[in-house]
Amino acid sequence: MLTRREAAQILLAAAATAAAGTPALAADKTVKIGADLSLTGADSQGASRVRNALIMAFDAANEGNAIPGYKFELMTLDDGTATAGQYDPAQAATNARKMVSDKDVVASIGPQMSGAGKAMTPILSQGGLATITPSSTNPDITSPKFAEQYRPAGKPIYFRTVTTDAYQGPNMANFFAETLKVKSVYILDDSGAFGVGVADSFQKQAEAKGVKIAGRDRLDPKAADYTAILTKIKSMNVDSIYYGGVSQAGVKLAKQAYDIVPTVIKGGPDGVTSADFLSGAGFPAVEGWYTSIAAPHLVEDTKAAQFVEAFKGKFGDAPDDYTITAYDAALVIIDAVKRLVAAGKPVTRETVRDSIQTAKVPTIQGIVSFDANGDLADRTVSVFQIKKDTTKPLNDVSAQYKYITVAPQS
Amino acid sequence: MTTFDLLLQQTINGLSLGAMYALLALGFTLVYGILELINFSHFNVFMVGSFVALGVLQMFGLSGQDVILTGLPLFGVLLVAFLVTMAFSGVLGVVIERLCLRPLRNVKGPAAMITTIGVSYILFNVILLTVGADSKNFPNPLPSIRYHIEGAVLDFRVLLIWGIALLLMAGLYMFVQRSRIGKAMRATAQDAEAARMMGVEVDKVIMMAFFLGSALAGAGGLIFGLYYNFTSFIIGFTAGLRAFTAAVLGGIGNVPGAMVGGVLIGLIEAMSSQFIATAWTDVIIFSILVLVLVFKPAGLFGRIAPNKS
Repeated sequence: MLTRREAAQILLAAAATAAAGTPALAADKTVKIGADLSLTGADSQGASRVRNALIMAFDAANEGNAIPGYKFELMTLDDGTATAGQYDPAQAATNARKMVSDKDVVASIGPQMSGAGKAMTPILSQGGLATITPSSTNPDITSPKFAEQYRPAGKPIYFRTVTTDAYQGPNMANFFAETLKVKSVYILDDSGAFGVGVADSFQKQAEAKGVKIAGRDRLDPKAADYTAILTKIKSMNVDSIYYGGVSQAGVKLAKQAYDIVPTVIKGGPDGVTSADFLSGAGFPAVEGWYTSIAAPHLVEDTKAAQFVEAFKGKFGDAPDDYTITAYDAALVIIDAVKRLVAAGKPVTRETVRDSIQTAKVPTIQGIVSFDANGDLADRTVSVFQIKKDTTKPLNDVSAQYKYITVAPQS
Repeated sequence: MTTFDLLLQQTINGLSLGAMYALLALGFTLVYGILELINFSHFNVFMVGSFVALGVLQMFGLSGQDVILTGLPLFGVLLVAFLVTMAFSGVLGVVIERLCLRPLRNVKGPAAMITTIGVSYILFNVILLTVGADSKNFPNPLPSIRYHIEGAVLDFRVLLIWGIALLLMAGLYMFVQRSRIGKAMRATAQDAEAARMMGVEVDKVIMMAFFLGSALAGAGGLIFGLYYNFTSFIIGFTAGLRAFTAAVLGGIGNVPGAMVGGVLIGLIEAMSSQFIATAWTDVIIFSILVLVLVFKPAGLFGRIAPNKS
């Protein structure tokens, strides 16, 4: 006679065999991944590329059955609002709460913007939910100095597949001083967390390099007129202007600077490495601007050729470098879950976080691994210059931004 | 650049800004003078106007910065652009009044003002959702001629903008002072009840105030585009708020006051960027506003019409 327990075991075993025989059963466990992107407002173009990259990565993992028995599900939330016209930190915080309160979400990707990151991290930390940002570069978020503020629960939860402004600003200052040999610079920012941070770190390194800081001022991104401050800069006869910020103020600055100080060297961070900057300010105003990104330049790299083609084929739109770092972020999460499953460990927020922390994942940009704070081990900052290429669309980032070099590291 | 050159250049910068604020401030003042209503939808009528102007210029085949016009074609294109933009914006103002504000005419309290805020957000979101969030490149068909006065630079564009703004403001002033309906507007502003009893068609007067104010906002939107060579769904807020401040500074309800207030705010903005810091501009503008209101609660010029209370 079968005991009741034996009968149950046989039944279970039969069910398991049946499950193994048919792929992609409803019995697959779902791994829910949150994504917080700035889909509404000035940065929407880059954001929809990131969303497409994530869809591509997780679809490929699901279709290729990368982790047998597990399927990824993406939950995309928008932190842009019409009122802000770009990302809105309050909306980002709401989204963070939404992800944390959904107990199926075990990891997340995003945000794109540092201002959103600062609003989200305290909530993510309390909820124990790790996130990987493909583009937010403000160093404070991961710095141990601000641990109490941005990771109150202790463990690092903010990982990046790009480096930080702790390198983007200073490396660009090195490029200004060593490569362009500028003697003086006027520094502007756009009042946002990202802009102020990158301008501060640029200023510090420029001073250390002996470049004269002619002045520092702050632009209101919603105001239209910067002619007064540019007239003031003109009267100072500076060699160069460095602008820390994103395209909302950058577009107007570029246009008006072209009228008032056309010959001065102008540079900015990844916030002005975008299609919005090109189409909003237009040629000839943007011609000659030096910009950087806090990542290696990948879209022209042979390593990324296959991805770029597949992306274009699927979405009819060329990816930018942060599309690739977003894809890499998805690969890191897929790998983290895969290693957990292979080791027979449960897939929870805590184990996924620990698994991300110890990642050594081959991605498009190379091997991704993180330091003890969640920052990318690789510190490459790439410099570009805008040069008009009339054979390509004038808002095509990959055609109009010419890759110059990796910025000198200090 | 010497200090004198700098002052001269910043005065030019400030006057250009001021001309735009003044055009916008007139719309606030016209409507307030008659209805005692602060019309916040005005912010975004200005913004919509700049998109209408963009559309008109694009219909002429102008896009980007490459096509430069001179002489008669320039005059013709600008004339058509101004007429179409002003007519469209003016009608938009009238439609807003007719659909959203007239039904609330006799409702006491802030309902009408809140409605204008709602309409403002509707316009804002409609443009955001239809044309997108990125800044749009605005064509600049004006020839780039620069005059050097001492060390300062005066662009032809700036002269033209001053000229058009002055012409529009002078036209409005004459209209309000001399024309029949202008007289009816002033009469309604003084005492709507009495004006009605004297046979003034108050509804028509109110429609006219909305039409004129919104048409000027549309002209302001076109001038904004020509001057800054871009437009975006977000331009209404800062410009609108400063223009509103200008109207209050000059004495809301007072037509010449709005013009002077606009120019003053423009100059304050330019000078505070030069001598203090751009970051402090709003603090300075609004501090001056508070000071003026503390000592002259009716604004610099006061209301022409005696207060109805």
